[in-house]
Amino acid sequence: MAETQLAVLFTSIALVVIGLYAAIFVDNIIKKIIGISFIEEGANLFIVGIGYKAGGIVPILMPDMDPTWFASNASYPLPYGLVLTSIVIGASTLAVMLALVMVLYRKYGTLSTSVMLADTSKQEEYDE
Amino acid sequence: MNELIPLMVIIPMMAALLISAFSRFDKVIKIFAFVVAICLPIIPLASNYGFHFFGGYQPIVDNVTNIVYHPAITYSFSFLQQIFIAVIGILTFLVIFIYLTKYKKVSGPYLFLLFMGTASVTALILTDDIFHMFVFFEILALAQVGIVAASSIDYSYEMALKYMILGSIGSPIMLLGIGFLLAMTGTVNITDIVAIIRGGLLDITSPVFLLSLGLIFFGWLYASGLPPFHTIKSGIYSKAEPHGAALLQSFTVISMISIVIIMFRIYSVLPIFEVLIVLFSVIAMILGVSLALTQTDFRRMIGFLAVGELGFIGLGIGLGTQFAITAGLFQALNEIVITALLFIGFGAIVNATNEVDTRKLGGLLAYHPKVGIMLLIGGLAMAGVPPLSGFQSKLMLVQASLSCGYPELSILTIMVSIATFVVFVKTFYSMFLRPKPHDLEVVDKDVPRAMVFAMVILLLIIIAFGLFPDIVTNGISSYVGGMLQ
Amino acid sequence: MKLYDQIFYVVKKFKELFSPGPVTNADVSGSITAEIFLIVSLVIASLLLRHVSILLAGLVTFILAIVLISNIPLIPKFKIEQEDSLEKMLFYAIIVLALVVVFLYWGGTLV
Repeated sequence: MAETQLAVLFTSIALVVIGLYAAIFVDNIIKKIIGISFIEEGANLFIVGIGYKAGGIVPILMPDMDPTWFASNASYPLPYGLVLTSIVIGASTLAVMLALVMVLYRKYGTLSTSVMLADTSKQEEYDE
Repeated sequence: MNELIPLMVIIPMMAALLISAFSRFDKVIKIFAFVVAICLPIIPLASNYGFHFFGGYQPIVDNVTNIVYHPAITYSFSFLQQIFIAVIGILTFLVIFIYLTKYKKVSGPYLFLLFMGTASVTALILTDDIFHMFVFFEILALAQVGIVAASSIDYSYEMALKYMILGSIGSPIMLLGIGFLLAMTGTVNITDIVAIIRGGLLDITSPVFLLSLGLIFFGWLYASGLPPFHTIKSGIYSKAEPHGAALLQSFTVISMISIVIIMFRIYSVLPIFEVLIVLFSVIAMILGVSLALTQTDFRRMIGFLAVGELGFIGLGIGLGTQFAITAGLFQALNEIVITALLFIGFGAIVNATNEVDTRKLGGLLAYHPKVGIMLLIGGLAMAGVPPLSGFQSKLMLVQASLSCGYPELSILTIMVSIATFVVFVKTFYSMFLRPKPHDLEVVDKDVPRAMVFAMVILLLIIIAFGLFPDIVTNGISSYVGGMLQ
Repeated sequence: MKLYDQIFYVVKKFKELFSPGPVTNADVSGSITAEIFLIVSLVIASLLLRHVSILLAGLVTFILAIVLISNIPLIPKFKIEQEDSLEKMLFYAIIVLALVVVFLYWGGTLV
């Protein structure tokens, strides 16, 4: 079904656009990070969608299969392998970001981006 | 010995893992880190040029179409990779040496970050696989954030989080671009992608191909800190420990050139590619230097200067001739060394005075004449004064842009060099030459020996490259010639 | 005398730029250098448009020069736009992303 692939591509684009919206317009840092991780998910979903083949089979070559028939019917396995790596990286990035947010929340007592991550160059230059 | 090629990545990575796992044994860790750091510059110099196919999957020739496919993740190692990995190895060694001598008790996780960063930039410049590049690009971003967050400077966590949030926009966008390329070509090996494009199997005027350029280009802007990422890039330099900043800027330069070489191989068939790179490089040069002129925090000032210098590299690549790309890559090599020297030297000043504001400093030449003189030479090299290395590469860039028919770019290059000189003279005057303010206390009268040692080594490299540029440029030029065919 | 007054006003404006804290003459002269450098380099960079169309290059250079010179001091405005707050960084990053993508998708084959 080509519509399945099209639906996947539209969903991934929607996820990326939502993420970019959240990056600018959301003030709460946790919400912002959730929004930004949507971009990553959108990119992953897009790459999964590339490997889709309408009516395809699982790309594992069994001993009783004809290799030519397999090559023309199996879905493309490379994107799945790539996405697996990318998801792991995304998770570790998310963990580091949230850890930094925890530290900063203890310091400022707020989750507002405009307070927490404002311009600091003026305070630190001449603060003694 | 081709077996050494994967070891260039594996050794620092294994060292990083072992050090963080056994960080309780302080003495053992120190000796181990030192030994590994010495090995880092030696391995690339001892290794032979060639390819390494992971898993041993050799390239396959399709008998029907006569196209070669690369099923394995491929590392290619030639003179360009050798010289850059050797320089980054020397720099890592110096930085780790400074770190080990500075603190009695070393931190395993911090050494982990330093080694991991080195391993990832080495993989970035070796790899011939666009997804492999993306993976190490992300690991590098994590290591950079860690190095910034680990410093004890005020507001370093904030800067690290900002860098991370911007990075989590930049890298997925790049991944999306890689996805577009994968969708069109069905492969992630760059040599295969280039063969498909050269063979005319792909419509290069299709909007999807152009879009993939735009998306990967945006990721490259983030990786290299060109505008609009110049503020955050200079920010993280100023928030890291000085030796960490010296390593961070070299990571930036290497990731910049390795990604731009990949983009150049794939997209140089499109004329707009070179326009884009020149446009952003010119903006980076103008913004970087004009903002550096107005800074009062000298770490931030070098940060902006480093970003401005990146514009020179981009300019060389963007002009696109063999001579120009050679000049750009040579400038990249020089910038790694010179900026590292400046960061370490100014770090010595922070060490001695606990002060980063140029308005509160003065008269330091009487206290630290050695550091002052070496910093002066480093600054002159960055501004492009003969016979130092910065002069050679900038002269090549000016000649390249003249011979390409863009005299405006030559004028701009010279103007930016002069402005760099002004920045440096202004800072040097207010830190070293003018009378010492009464309330300035010079806390620690001795500059750590390791820092002086590192500066001397870097200075020797600068002078060697300045007097004998041919030892590097000939090799780079032949590599670029092979790339352009 | 108007231009003279304006240049005097520039120096006053720079004093605000460096507050709080003292303003040294090195800083102010650095800022004036930055000001001149910015104007001249932008004008020279706009000359590159002559590879597209000579008339366009002449017009853009002329207009840019007038706009920049009549709007001094530029550096305080520039610095405010490039401060360290995350909001401004994200805003410019996404604007640039949008511009690059739109420009390449619809105009990538024009060059």
